[in-house]
Amino acid sequence: MHRSFFLQNPSILWFLTILAGFTVGVTLVSEVTGVGLISTSFVKTLGKTLCLCLVAIAMDVVWGYCGILSLGHFAFFGIGGYAIGMWLMYARTEGIVLGSLAGQPIPPTPAEISDAIGNQIFGVVGSSEFPMIWAFADNLFLQLLMVVLVPGLLALVFGWLAFRSRVTGVYLSILTQAMTLALALYLFQNDSGLRGNNGLSGLQNIPGYEDFSQATISIVFFITSAIALAAGYVFFAWIVSGKMGSVIKGIRDNEARVRFLGYHVEGYKLFVFTTTAIIAGIAGALYYPQAGIINPGEIAPIASIYLAVWVAIGGRGRLYGAVIGAAFVSLVSSWFTGGGAPNINLGFYVIQWTDWWLVLLGFSFVAVTLFFPKGIGGLFDLLVRKQP
Amino acid sequence: MPRLIFLALTLWLLAPVAVQAQTLQDILQTHQDEVLKPGRRSVGVVLDDLVASGLPQTVPFLEAWRDREIVQRDSDGLFFRATEDGDAITLNDLDTGENVGTADDADLTDSRPNGGVRRAIGDALVQFQLSDPNILKRRSAVNAIARSMEASQLGPLEASIEGEIDPTLRATKQRLAGMLGARFADTQDKRIEAIEALSGDLSVDVRAVLNTILTTKTGVAPEPPADKNIAQILTVGTDLTAEDAYARLVAADLAPPLISKAAIRNALVANLDGDTVGGVPVATLNTDAARATAYDALAADGLLPQRVSEAEQAAAIEAHSFYLAYTEPDTAITDAARAALRSIETNVALSQAADLGLDALSLASIYFLAAIGLAITFGVMGVINMAHGEFIMMGAYTGFVVQQFVPDYTLSIIIALPLAFAVTFGAGVTMERLVIRHLYHRPLETLLATFGISIALQQLAKNIFGTQARPLTSPEWLDGALVFNDVIAISYIRIAIFVLALLFLALILFVLKRTRLGLEVRAVTQNPGMAASMGINPDRINMLTFGLGSGIAGIAGVAIGLYAKVTSEMGADYIVQSFMTVVVGGVGNVWGTLAGASLIGFLQKGIEWLNPSNTLAAQTYMILFIILFIQFRPKGIVALKGRAAAD
Amino acid sequence: MSMLLEVSGVSVSFDGFRAINNLSINFAPAELRAIIGPNGAGKTTFMDIVTGKTKPDEGTVIWGDKNISLLGLSESQIAREGIGRKFQKPTVFEAQTVRQNLAMALKTPRGPFAVLMHKKTKPNGARIEAVAEQIGLTNEITRVAGELSHGQKQWLEIGMLLAQEPRLMLVDEPAAGMTPEEREKTTDILKEAAKTRAVVVVEHDMEFVRRLNCKVTVLHEGSVLAEGSLDHVTSDQTVIDVYLGRAHA
Repeated sequence: MHRSFFLQNPSILWFLTILAGFTVGVTLVSEVTGVGLISTSFVKTLGKTLCLCLVAIAMDVVWGYCGILSLGHFAFFGIGGYAIGMWLMYARTEGIVLGSLAGQPIPPTPAEISDAIGNQIFGVVGSSEFPMIWAFADNLFLQLLMVVLVPGLLALVFGWLAFRSRVTGVYLSILTQAMTLALALYLFQNDSGLRGNNGLSGLQNIPGYEDFSQATISIVFFITSAIALAAGYVFFAWIVSGKMGSVIKGIRDNEARVRFLGYHVEGYKLFVFTTTAIIAGIAGALYYPQAGIINPGEIAPIASIYLAVWVAIGGRGRLYGAVIGAAFVSLVSSWFTGGGAPNINLGFYVIQWTDWWLVLLGFSFVAVTLFFPKGIGGLFDLLVRKQP
Repeated sequence: MPRLIFLALTLWLLAPVAVQAQTLQDILQTHQDEVLKPGRRSVGVVLDDLVASGLPQTVPFLEAWRDREIVQRDSDGLFFRATEDGDAITLNDLDTGENVGTADDADLTDSRPNGGVRRAIGDALVQFQLSDPNILKRRSAVNAIARSMEASQLGPLEASIEGEIDPTLRATKQRLAGMLGARFADTQDKRIEAIEALSGDLSVDVRAVLNTILTTKTGVAPEPPADKNIAQILTVGTDLTAEDAYARLVAADLAPPLISKAAIRNALVANLDGDTVGGVPVATLNTDAARATAYDALAADGLLPQRVSEAEQAAAIEAHSFYLAYTEPDTAITDAARAALRSIETNVALSQAADLGLDALSLASIYFLAAIGLAITFGVMGVINMAHGEFIMMGAYTGFVVQQFVPDYTLSIIIALPLAFAVTFGAGVTMERLVIRHLYHRPLETLLATFGISIALQQLAKNIFGTQARPLTSPEWLDGALVFNDVIAISYIRIAIFVLALLFLALILFVLKRTRLGLEVRAVTQNPGMAASMGINPDRINMLTFGLGSGIAGIAGVAIGLYAKVTSEMGADYIVQSFMTVVVGGVGNVWGTLAGASLIGFLQKGIEWLNPSNTLAAQTYMILFIILFIQFRPKGIVALKGRAAAD
Repeated sequence: MSMLLEVSGVSVSFDGFRAINNLSINFAPAELRAIIGPNGAGKTTFMDIVTGKTKPDEGTVIWGDKNISLLGLSESQIAREGIGRKFQKPTVFEAQTVRQNLAMALKTPRGPFAVLMHKKTKPNGARIEAVAEQIGLTNEITRVAGELSHGQKQWLEIGMLLAQEPRLMLVDEPAAGMTPEEREKTTDILKEAAKTRAVVVVEHDMEFVRRLNCKVTVLHEGSVLAEGSLDHVTSDQTVIDVYLGRAHA
């Protein structure tokens, strides 16, 4: 990375400064320091939002920069969540099981421990056997590897199949949506080995750190999420600013031209698709311990479409736009749906935002697409003078 | 006994006057004890005599007896039917039915037949009911036999066939007699004849009869016993697992029981001796091997039974033969039943395939209706309308609203179809004018903008109509199903949807191939620039096309609403399948959509058939198949070729 | 003289329509060639075949000193082999600057990881400047390509071809929509380029072809109708019939 990289892209420094300030500020006024201006649950909301921002910049790179409207990146996000959730759930259940077996007159055999854990985890789907995919669940390191490998490999295989047959545009979007739907339907099954529609739960309890309060854990995750977002931002900014950025923007604007220049377009698309899928998986792995629960509903195709909506509202083709979009829409959305917004009394009808928020979001999204194709981020163009 | 009843019944039917010498009371008096305290076995004698008497008053008596209304007057031992009227108990003569006065509860002894006896009485009654002048009673008697299927019923049933005047009921009786005969006829020949007669019948109850005849029991013995009708000798390893085999040996007392891991553990816990068990330190007992060592040490001291070693288990299994034996001892009968069942199952399989084909066809019609509008807009304008599913929903709700005002279901559907078209046509044109027109050449943004409309419309529907499913009731003449045989059946609604799909296929082909609009639409599809330069106004074409596509979605909504639920989310259930249909079929071609819908419909049904327990898995596999299919035909089944398809 | 590209016996049809019919045509390592022909003669399809966009039904396309068949190669592989193509409509990356456009075309390793680790170097910078100079866009080098005039975009695309350093340049209607002065400059650029490589120009405009002053191949109904100097082919009776016949039709 050139030293001039940051100098050429001052927006990165701005972003990092603001993010650092925000992180330090939230930490200082959280319950951990005793100030308690911000509740632990709100710290979790903010931490989750940072993870959503991270997956949003991944989406922005794949769509805003490379022109692939993937409706599958939230599925990769969910896979990351499942991968870490398996370890969290296994390790925590193991702790509980060992604790309850400790009082026995004879020490338990490994098979007995495994059976007891299996019973605890899979009892809800009427099973106690450990499915194959849980083979690494007892090992944090391997399971962390899964966070990266599973979304990466899935994206690699799917992308290779799709790109090599030159599926592009809306076709590709629909195909990625189909992939997401297939994955969600698979996870909804009880015999998928991931507890069907119960999903994985209790993920907010971190094994080995039972003595720490949720306030501390939430701040640790909040800071980690902020660091991950910063790292992801710098990484993607580096990718899109150099010649790589030129090529992938070229692919977005005229794929055939790039191909006739001698670039192996499919390879580039695959690189972008896979890299962003991995980052999405990492974001998910940070998100779900803060959310505490993951179930197949999280992966449903609509979630991936919302991801695209955030990026579009924030402004495609600029990383900070994606961050703004994800943060703005998800926070505003929870404000409206959480009953924070005051109802509007029209005299003959009371508009309750819990019912009308989606209508508002839908139509404002249409309006953004029609009238502000550059999204919120486009406002910055008005502030920053154009370079000569 | 069946013969006796048969004989009695015949007598009763043919010559009721001949045996009128005695009264019912006489018969009861000869069996006083049995009537008063009837047992499952003893009641047979009474019933036989009653039936043999042929007295017409037998039926009301049996009904009263079954309903626990028969009492004995202690003073003279006579039986009466008692009816309680407040505190007073009225007695009725059993032969004449006349009221013979009242009595006090204390002077009477109740006959209290238990459940088994009452069933026996019921059986005896069935014999009479089978020939009852009232067809309803006859029918219910036949149904009662079909439910219970007992040997004793065969005779009376056969006897009643001759006199049956209703041809349908007669056929039912004959069929039922055939099934009973297959199981209970008294000679081997008759049974085999009955079994062979069944082999043309596909119904579930016939298959149940044959399967009952072919019921098997597992058995184990040193040698396969010669006196049993062996169905199959089981091979350990392929037909049953070694554990299973040994467990059967244990169950048959042919081998000592295994000591389970849990039992070992409990035994060790019971024999704890300070820090050791059987000389093994407790702390090391966290493996099965260590536990086995400790257990064996205890067993060697005679404290516990010995464990059965693997070799002993294998030897025990080796020394025995495991088999399945028919409960029916006659090999000729089981052979005949097997042959009949095989031929039935072949027919059933063929019928199932046909039924599956019909199912798939109707599913394909639904997908075709749902997707054709999408295909038209996609083909002509390159626009993916994510709100297409919501147009389907809008059509369905239009049908629902119409039914609120027009109570006649036939009329309301006739009104709803064009109205749904009009409503969604309007919505489509509005959307095209306000949104899509501004986004041509930005297909991905159209996709997202229409998605925005989709979530707004969905939520609007939820706010207006609520979250619960709304009914869209089909007219009565669409209720029920067209039944070919016990396996092949298709509901009329599905036939109607199929017809509707055919109509729309014809209509769309007509519009596209035979009208000016169609010509212009095809021109715009193939080369928009050229079409514009030839004076075709693409704006107008786009608007009309979008309206048409949306309007068809509305009609599809009414059709889907008739057989599925109407909810605000119903559109979302069909949208992905509709996309798949368009993608698989190929863009811009009606036949492509038809091919895509057929492929997806048949594929989905086919996968569901292979994996019947799990529709989720079926959908997962189908989507994976489509993703792979796109690899080989990226442009769909019916692809445009040449320059038009280049970009 | 050994040939740079030998196309022989190539046919391709779309839905029964024979776009290219038993076409054979050869190009020397350093020559300027104009291909003319009426609409639908198969000019664009011919370029599609050479650049790998369309696979022919039959025939062979042999390339270079090692006699490689181009038919098994993908578009990007053919481009890396040294065949550059300019489209009829100017296709430059309008969201990026002239320098970025040229940098992308510059002959450097094309793999994703090489590109990711790519660093700007002095020699590469100098090559970009040189190409910009050649196409007369030195002053526009930091401008976004979308802001350029139509003619400038055409030159930029030719410049991108030059930066690719191909051995064969296929140029589709370079002079379309240009002013006379711009045409003259375009002619100069192409003539200069043809000194070291083969340049094939597909053109409608006879005036422009005359100015190129090179060997001309006339395509008609997917095969070669005539070949030679412009004067030679325009005096050929069949060529006259084809053009005039169409004009009268």
